[in-house]
Amino acid sequence: MIRTPLRPLARILRARERGENPDAIERENKRMRHEEMRDRARLQAESRLILLAVAFLGGFLLIGGRMAYIATTDPVEPRAAASGSPIIGQRADILDRNGRILATNLDTYALYAQPQQMIDPEAAATRLAEIFPELDAERLRTDFTGTRKFVWVRRQISPEQLQAVHDIGEPGLLFGPREARLYPNGPIAAQVLGGATYGREGVDSAEVIGVAGVERQFDAYLRDPANQGAPLTLSLDLTVQATAEEVLAGGMMLMNAKAASAVLLDVHTGEVIAMVSLPDFDPNTRPALSPETSPDDNPLFNRAVQGVYELGSTFKVFAVSQALELGLVNADTMIDTRGPLTWGRFRIRDFHNYGAQLSVTDVVVKSSNIGTARIALQIGADRQREFLDSLGLLQPTSIELSEARSGRPLFPAQWSEISTMTIGYGHGVSDSPLHLAAAYASIVNGGTLVTPTLIRQDRAQTGPRIISEATSRIMRSMLREVVQHGTATFGDVEGYDVGGKTGTADKPNPQGGYYDDKVIATFASFFPASDPRYVLVVSLDEPVETSGSEPRRTAGWTAVPVAAEMIRRIAPILGMRPQIETAEADGVTLTSN
Amino acid sequence: MSYLEYNTKFVPTGLRKVLYLNWPLVLLLIAVASFGFLMLYSVAGGSSTPWMAPQMKRFGVSLVVMFAVAMVPIWFWRNMAVLTYGFCLALLIGVEFFGSVGMGAQRWIDLGFIQLQPSEMMKIALVMVLAAYYDWLPVDRVSRPQWLVAPLVLIGLPTMLVLIQPDLGTAIMLSLGGGIIMFLAGVHWAYFGTVILGGVGLVATVLESRGTTWQLLHDYQFRRIDTFLDPSSDPLGAGYHITQAKIALGSGGWTGKGFMQGTQSRLNFLPEKQTDFIFTTLAEEFGFVGAATLLALYTLIIAFCIVSALQNKDRFASLVTLGVAATLFLFFAVNMSMVMGLAPVVGVPLPLVSYGGSAMLVLMGAFGLVQSAHVHRQR
Repeated sequence: MIRTPLRPLARILRARERGENPDAIERENKRMRHEEMRDRARLQAESRLILLAVAFLGGFLLIGGRMAYIATTDPVEPRAAASGSPIIGQRADILDRNGRILATNLDTYALYAQPQQMIDPEAAATRLAEIFPELDAERLRTDFTGTRKFVWVRRQISPEQLQAVHDIGEPGLLFGPREARLYPNGPIAAQVLGGATYGREGVDSAEVIGVAGVERQFDAYLRDPANQGAPLTLSLDLTVQATAEEVLAGGMMLMNAKAASAVLLDVHTGEVIAMVSLPDFDPNTRPALSPETSPDDNPLFNRAVQGVYELGSTFKVFAVSQALELGLVNADTMIDTRGPLTWGRFRIRDFHNYGAQLSVTDVVVKSSNIGTARIALQIGADRQREFLDSLGLLQPTSIELSEARSGRPLFPAQWSEISTMTIGYGHGVSDSPLHLAAAYASIVNGGTLVTPTLIRQDRAQTGPRIISEATSRIMRSMLREVVQHGTATFGDVEGYDVGGKTGTADKPNPQGGYYDDKVIATFASFFPASDPRYVLVVSLDEPVETSGSEPRRTAGWTAVPVAAEMIRRIAPILGMRPQIETAEADGVTLTSN
Repeated sequence: MSYLEYNTKFVPTGLRKVLYLNWPLVLLLIAVASFGFLMLYSVAGGSSTPWMAPQMKRFGVSLVVMFAVAMVPIWFWRNMAVLTYGFCLALLIGVEFFGSVGMGAQRWIDLGFIQLQPSEMMKIALVMVLAAYYDWLPVDRVSRPQWLVAPLVLIGLPTMLVLIQPDLGTAIMLSLGGGIIMFLAGVHWAYFGTVILGGVGLVATVLESRGTTWQLLHDYQFRRIDTFLDPSSDPLGAGYHITQAKIALGSGGWTGKGFMQGTQSRLNFLPEKQTDFIFTTLAEEFGFVGAATLLALYTLIIAFCIVSALQNKDRFASLVTLGVAATLFLFFAVNMSMVMGLAPVVGVPLPLVSYGGSAMLVLMGAFGLVQSAHVHRQR
């Protein structure tokens, strides 16, 4: 920048010559310089002003944009809460297939004390001990008079107790809201539901967590507030479940069994309609058992899922259906049943001597071990193993229970020829009743695999094909014959056309070998045999039927009558009409249609 | 232009001044205040008491004050700047000792007929004194360090006094407003860069001080910062304001629920619904359209101020005009950001809309200065 001098000598001299005041030139120059400076400052100020205006505009856009964003998003109530604040949202209900409540919540209170705020701790302790007889007054007294600032008194109290504690009028006794899990049906479906307990506990609320069964399996779903209390609908039918439990409990007592289980399965959808395991418990007051308790005496143990047993002759169905499927035999092929069958150091016997040979149908109907062993031998180890695996009998079931994984089938690591033979008639592989029910459903439903589920389904399963329709049909008629003429004649429920297979397996002795007088009696049945809709497996642990001259333990005398009674009572509940005229006589023309 | 022209510029005198007022600005101010009347009527459940009628009276008085200030030549106000500032500073010190405590903070001084909030007046006094200072200071000295001391002290003193009241919102507004004037006056870039860096460092220090013996902010202020960063962390406690406000804003949607149909504010979900959080009522009842309209009105006010400042050749006049505009901007920007969760809750009213006389009177007085600058500019 060129600065003009304030007093340019040339101009001043000239002005002096003209007699003018040279100071005017200086003033003029000063003014011009100031103006120049002012203009520069102005320019700078204006550019800064523009920057500020841009900043303001940015502010406007930010606020406006935020406003538009909030206006376009749906208002959301806060759901999540930090620790220390009340846990919002109730645990979802559990319903049966018809919407009846299996598990719900009840608002109760927990009782706690803040001894520092107490007026009369001694009296409060005495009064509390009167209201809750199970509390120790001495202990309360020491708690209340000591240095503790906070004492839990009771986790859950009833409304009457709440009122009584209120009436003490002690400001140091306080109540915290509690959501209690309630199972209004008591022990019905106990092992399926499992139970719940408190997790993290605060003064204002406590977390409810599932400890077993469906409650544990679906814990995350049931607790998720995002489901907004959408209930979990199971496949169980409460009425059927209750009936099954009642019948099974009666049968267990009549047959002097120490335990029992039953599974009712829809053969098309795989839905478990009823699942019973006795002895049972009340999930409202779930007993605390030491893990060492033997499964036989443990009511928490779900025998239908966790209890793997050798299921005996019920397995013959698998050997026979596979042989039919492979074309090794047909229903009328004669099988050598001369006994005993000796294989190395093993001898296989039949319950009765059935003569020199039986047709395949009769092997099933009369339940010949020797005949089945010979059929199994024809199939061979690898194919047998593959077939049983495809029926799901060699893996734990995928049923939606936290205990399902522990129901792991037992089978020999070395699948030798003798194993093949014994497994053919149900010894050597241990499975749960649920395994058996699902496998039977797969055999009789037309031959497609059924995966059991506890969640209500809307449509039939379309599993992979296990056996052909034709084989399935032959198996159905064979098994119908077992009930009509074979080992399960007590199972013939009039009008419901039951088919099925008995199985009586000696219980393994923990000391080695098998007991002579302890059996697991199982009846795997389905109805109606012409077009099966349900599979029912009833299994009794150590049953003895003593009405005759000698104790009878076979399934035909124990499990079958119990299952028959169950079908008799359940089928009408399931909406099935009894088919009295099963075989319409050929050639008879009805007079009117 | 020549010096001669400069001296013969026309400045209206007497009642003719009324004709030369910035009338669009007056109308805009009345429009914004009318928004406030509507909202106060609505939050009272469709009643002019207890809020709307007093607010209208106060606005009337404020309007008269604005015209009165506008009639007085702007150079008089320049000469009054230091006096006003000194008076306000004295009042601020006064409330430390004689102030009444309202809402947990010493902010008010009771003059019998009106409850005065000196920190409000200080916002304008600071604008005036800084504008006067830079008007007096030759332009080539603006960025010299020794000439920065005075404005920094002028800003720092009231800010400190307000901080110990404690009133974080006003303190932020004072320092930001002062900073904007220094920026407009042409203080060198490097200073602002340094201050911004220092500010970041200060924030870090303040956050660091939490829980130590030398804690620099109150616990409630820290909690507000926490809540600002994550309102859902405490939806029933300190985050309540923001969460409820956002629900109200969100439920308004584009066009709102309709006048007097808001639930969040009328069902008393919202605290301070007639003061700091009145914007939520607006957004809930008139939706995005209503809120954007208010925003547009504020924008227009500021635009008119900027245009007026550009037309004005007097340094004091244009700096005061811009300072008032900046103060208004900070008012509503901080308030709206706070309500919408863009800034922590600091307790700044929505200018001319929120219920309250002190802030309105001061702000209208400030617009009186803007009008005076506009009327008495050299044309």
